[in-house]
Amino acid sequence: MSKRTLPRLLQTPAVILLLVWMLVPLGMTLYFSFIRYVLNSLRRPEWTSPSISNWRGFGNYEYVYNSKDFWFALQNSLFIVGSILVLTVILGLAFAMLVNRSFPGRGIVRVLLISPFFVMPAVNAVLWINMILDPVLGLNGLAVEGINAAVKGLQDFPILGAFFSLWPEIEPISFRATQTSAYAVIMMVTWQWTPFAVLIFMTSLQSEDEQQKEAAILDGANAWSRFRNLTIPHLARPIAIVVMIQSIFHLSLYAEIEIVSRGNGNKNLPYLIGEFTSNNIGAASAAGIFAVILANIVAIFLLRMVGKNLMD
Amino acid sequence: MAAVAQKSKFGHIFWPVLAWVVALIFFFPIFWLVFTSFKTDADAVKPEFLFTFKPTLDNYLNMTENYDYWRFAINSVITSTFATTLALVVGVPAAYAMAFNPSRHTKDILVWMLSTKMLPAAAVLYPMTFLTKNFLGIYDTHFLVILVLCLINLPIVIWMLFTYFKEIPKEIIEAGKMDGVSTWGEIKDILIPLAWGGVASTALLCFIFCWNEAYWTVRLTTTEAATLSKLIEGNRAPEGLFFGRLSAVSTAAVGPIVVLGWFCQKQLVRGLTFGAVK
Repeated sequence: MSKRTLPRLLQTPAVILLLVWMLVPLGMTLYFSFIRYVLNSLRRPEWTSPSISNWRGFGNYEYVYNSKDFWFALQNSLFIVGSILVLTVILGLAFAMLVNRSFPGRGIVRVLLISPFFVMPAVNAVLWINMILDPVLGLNGLAVEGINAAVKGLQDFPILGAFFSLWPEIEPISFRATQTSAYAVIMMVTWQWTPFAVLIFMTSLQSEDEQQKEAAILDGANAWSRFRNLTIPHLARPIAIVVMIQSIFHLSLYAEIEIVSRGNGNKNLPYLIGEFTSNNIGAASAAGIFAVILANIVAIFLLRMVGKNLMD
Repeated sequence: MAAVAQKSKFGHIFWPVLAWVVALIFFFPIFWLVFTSFKTDADAVKPEFLFTFKPTLDNYLNMTENYDYWRFAINSVITSTFATTLALVVGVPAAYAMAFNPSRHTKDILVWMLSTKMLPAAAVLYPMTFLTKNFLGIYDTHFLVILVLCLINLPIVIWMLFTYFKEIPKEIIEAGKMDGVSTWGEIKDILIPLAWGGVASTALLCFIFCWNEAYWTVRLTTTEAATLSKLIEGNRAPEGLFFGRLSAVSTAAVGPIVVLGWFCQKQLVRGLTFGAVK
């Protein structure tokens, strides 16, 4: 056996497994996206099994492209992902700075902050939508009730009471409507993924050049300018990585949407594909190819960054 | 150093206190979940019992009766364990070869492997259902869940192992070769003991990801191989009737994993950023 053969052999199982896993289903999706293929059709029974004679060309793509749901789902996907990204990066930075210096109980604080990341997405969604955000039974409802009661109590005060009697009774927001359930999803995913940003920023803050910072202090730079001119440039790469890795994960967000917003109109691209899959496989596949293209745009940037870092 | 030591007294107290407050608020939903699991279903939705209630273990004791918890839990344990083992069996030799005998394609292969992780699962949902149900007949089997869990985590496993193995000096492996140790011996007697920490944390992280996976495990199973994700998804309790018992089963589903997660928080960074942040 030559020197090169064995290493290649050792990689073969992994490469073949991943190759099959990637190519076979994706090839099928690509094929289905070009044919008419529905699961139930009384009128056209020939469409119910995949066959090349049902060729439709780009018809499925046109159908998906022209459907209102597609654009709504796409916008909603981007809105949800974008909001989560902004929130997790800001919160992650803030929390990472908070725990960067040592203080009593820092280890426990870190464990508390990291924990949400390990909660199963299904549990996360059930917990938030029922026990926290529910307008009647959740903490949301209780908190609003508490505020209303407090305002009412304050109305009895002699002078201030007049001011508080102007306050209207507030109603808890329901997070089960189309738009608000998107906010609920953003909230719960932000809660789950902020720890990820914290972890990465914490790791990278620890490698920050302390001497440079001390020099800046001696030069009279204030905290804000040290943060802006030293810390932010140092964190540029980790921020980019947090943004890209999360984009990939959140573009395919599913469990949370399924649990929080089933049937109320709030959907993202994967959820729309799931809806199509219940009957119109051709359209589902075309939408799937759109999702692949979207993910690829993000992935290319990430792979470049990771690849560059690879061999040093 | 002098300049750094001159922190104000205010900051010395304020920032740690803020950090504690933020951490407690952030942890609160988990606390609330555990807390509610000790209330009866009726108490759980009554505001007057917010903090004053008679704690009960009934929710945990009736978990089997209410949700058939153990069947799902055992499925989760089986599938996650075997998927992790399989991923290591396939991943360790591959990462070994890539780290110690890189060719000019190694970098491309690694990047390509990672790219398979980025395919949106929804795009191949129907083909996977079609293949496994109509063609292979393995829909809703442990075998399928294990295979899929292994495949979706294999890129991360190989990447993590690769970054750990690369830190081991090549000379040690070379020395083994000189002494006539076989490749299998090199992996078993030299590499694994040296990179033990790395292999263990890779396995731990892979296990956590398998346990929490909620797309394929829900879509490719019905009853036979259904995991805890499927159990929770199927019992979302829209009317709030069962907050108590739902909290208990949720706590039981996430508790072990959250604790496991505490042990590998440092390795998580490497695993999730594919070695780009260390």
